[in-house]
Amino acid sequence: MKKIAVVLSLLLALCLFSTVLADDPETLTLILRAGTYADVLKEAIPAFEEANNCKIEFSEETFDDLHTKIALDAVNAEGAYDVLMLDGTWMTEFTENGVLANLSELGYSFDEDIIPATTAAGVDADGNIYMLPYYGNVTIFMYNKDLVDKYNDGVVPATWNGVLELSQKMKADGVDGYILRQGAGDPNVTDFLPVLKAFGGWVLNEDFTEVTLNTPEAKAALEFYIDLYKAGNLLDKDNMVAAVNNGSAAMAVGWPGWGAANYTVIPTKVSEDSEEQYTSIYGCWFLGMAENSAKKDLALKFLEYAMDPEVQLATVADGGVPCRESSLLAESTLEIKPNLAVVYGALSTGTYRPAVGFYTDLVNTFGPYLDSAVMGTMSVDDALAQGQAACEALLP
Amino acid sequence: MNASIAKNKNQGFDQDKAFPHILMAPTILVMLALTVYPLLFTVYYSFTDYNLLKSRKNGVNVIGFQNYVKLFQNPIFRTAILNTVKFTICAVLLETIIGLLIALFVNSLPRGQKVMRTLLLLPYLLPTVTVALAWRMLLSSNYGPVMQWLVNMGFKNLSNYNVFFHVETAFWAVLAIDVWQSSPFVFLLCYASLQGVPTQQYEAAELDGANIFQKFWYVTVPNIKSGIFLCLLLRTIDSFRLFDKVNILTGGGPANSTTTITQYLYTFGIKNLNFGFGSAGALIMTVIVMILAIPYIRNAISSQK
Repeated sequence: MKKIAVVLSLLLALCLFSTVLADDPETLTLILRAGTYADVLKEAIPAFEEANNCKIEFSEETFDDLHTKIALDAVNAEGAYDVLMLDGTWMTEFTENGVLANLSELGYSFDEDIIPATTAAGVDADGNIYMLPYYGNVTIFMYNKDLVDKYNDGVVPATWNGVLELSQKMKADGVDGYILRQGAGDPNVTDFLPVLKAFGGWVLNEDFTEVTLNTPEAKAALEFYIDLYKAGNLLDKDNMVAAVNNGSAAMAVGWPGWGAANYTVIPTKVSEDSEEQYTSIYGCWFLGMAENSAKKDLALKFLEYAMDPEVQLATVADGGVPCRESSLLAESTLEIKPNLAVVYGALSTGTYRPAVGFYTDLVNTFGPYLDSAVMGTMSVDDALAQGQAACEALLP
Repeated sequence: MNASIAKNKNQGFDQDKAFPHILMAPTILVMLALTVYPLLFTVYYSFTDYNLLKSRKNGVNVIGFQNYVKLFQNPIFRTAILNTVKFTICAVLLETIIGLLIALFVNSLPRGQKVMRTLLLLPYLLPTVTVALAWRMLLSSNYGPVMQWLVNMGFKNLSNYNVFFHVETAFWAVLAIDVWQSSPFVFLLCYASLQGVPTQQYEAAELDGANIFQKFWYVTVPNIKSGIFLCLLLRTIDSFRLFDKVNILTGGGPANSTTTITQYLYTFGIKNLNFGFGSAGALIMTVIVMILAIPYIRNAISSQK
């Protein structure tokens, strides 16, 4: 018995000793948006770990949880997360409150290959870089080719009126034409924005001092949006993509990372005669660094690696959408993903959602009113008036 | 001498009295730290503009009753209260009736009670998130077997119909799932109470010529009354806190038709990091739950006496 105890004690001591002496690789922790956005980045991790003798851990979160967890961690003296995946609309809120590290101060600068329009959301008024455009998300127009072939001779409508007419034609035949996105808050507001923009409306004025939701343009846009619903349906993201891909619905606004079989640019005008608008909405996923990261050097190395042209090009095969011209327009890219030429066009001429610190509040506030108007439990006038009043209370 | 004895007795009495308090002190301290301290902070924050991020720069400012005023002026919060009350009443009633009926049925089985008990408890043993995700998948318009079956049965117009996204069906769908999951809990408590009903009382009632309903009303109910009240109390509190299912299945929509108080607080308090505002809402909810729970607790205490 004594012998066993001595052997066990020696083994335990050996374990502890080896743990102390072991040259543990440095660990970098990433918090990412779950889905294709995280998947493509994860593919690139092993090579970085090997080259830098480090270990990378990551957690994948939904949109809302990602925002909340980054914010909760920001109040700690030393953060749990080093590299953050960020939505463009969080920039102002996070930089105003010291969540993100200033990457310019750490020596990072953009090269000319990165599509200039995609960098704007990650740079502050003084030109300091806080976020790097990693995944070129910009709204696109998904469609079912067979249905468009059958009902419109293969021509995807180039105007919103055309979309409505085609939807109504399909609905009369028992097929859902246009699909609205379900989910009060960011999902339904973002889905509505291209229509609002096409009608000449927007959520805030140019200098973000006034809410512009209760305007004739917004009213026309919302009434049109409801007509689209009547000629189609309303689904969540997964069912929406499945419906368009399997032919139980014809058209919807989505994002390149969703896996739609066919997509093109979103109609830029209401009718042939109306003014053209930048209706593609940017929703790029960015990479940034936590200000309270204790491993800033390694985190910066990782950011530089993730933004490298070759690394970015390699993500295309796995579903990546780089914000680099060389990656998007490379022959190898267009050979396997010809649709990325459409994304390149949209990325060069998109519209940013308002860069204000209260944007998350804004969509969470307006979303339920928009939803109520679409569902018919509130009139268009009431939804816009009450939505406007509720959003005005958020203005600083 | 007598005075000395009396003094010692007195000292001994004090020590005896103090001993249980000393033993309980650590537990009481832990309870205070875990319940009273956070509650006091919640009360304090409810009177402030505390925002997790913004307050790092601007500090935490006391704003009096502004959060409460904002809450009661907000039509969505009022809808959330109504939805929560409506849901609680419907869920508690349905779950209690269904759970009790199942318990009576299983209790009347001559054999196989153990198997039935285990099978019936399965939904309650599943985590709420799993239940919500499973039902979301089952009722999905494109992936769900239920909707696919309906479409194949000839309901072609349901090909893109999702019960969680339409005002007419969303609330009732969430309610049905909650009833499916929580009725077994009521069943379990009622079944346990039924085990304690003396069989002689049924035999006596039978001799008196009581029919099945009279036996249920005059023998079963009085015996399991405290169990039913406990079910009502626990299900009321639990239903009032409904969150996971709503958050996963509907997110409070469509058109706020399934927004509950907790869902509202999550959207406008937690998601927006406005913890001051969220604290005010949480306190209002606590008060409503207490008001609802008091009659049950009183009844339970009086029936124990």
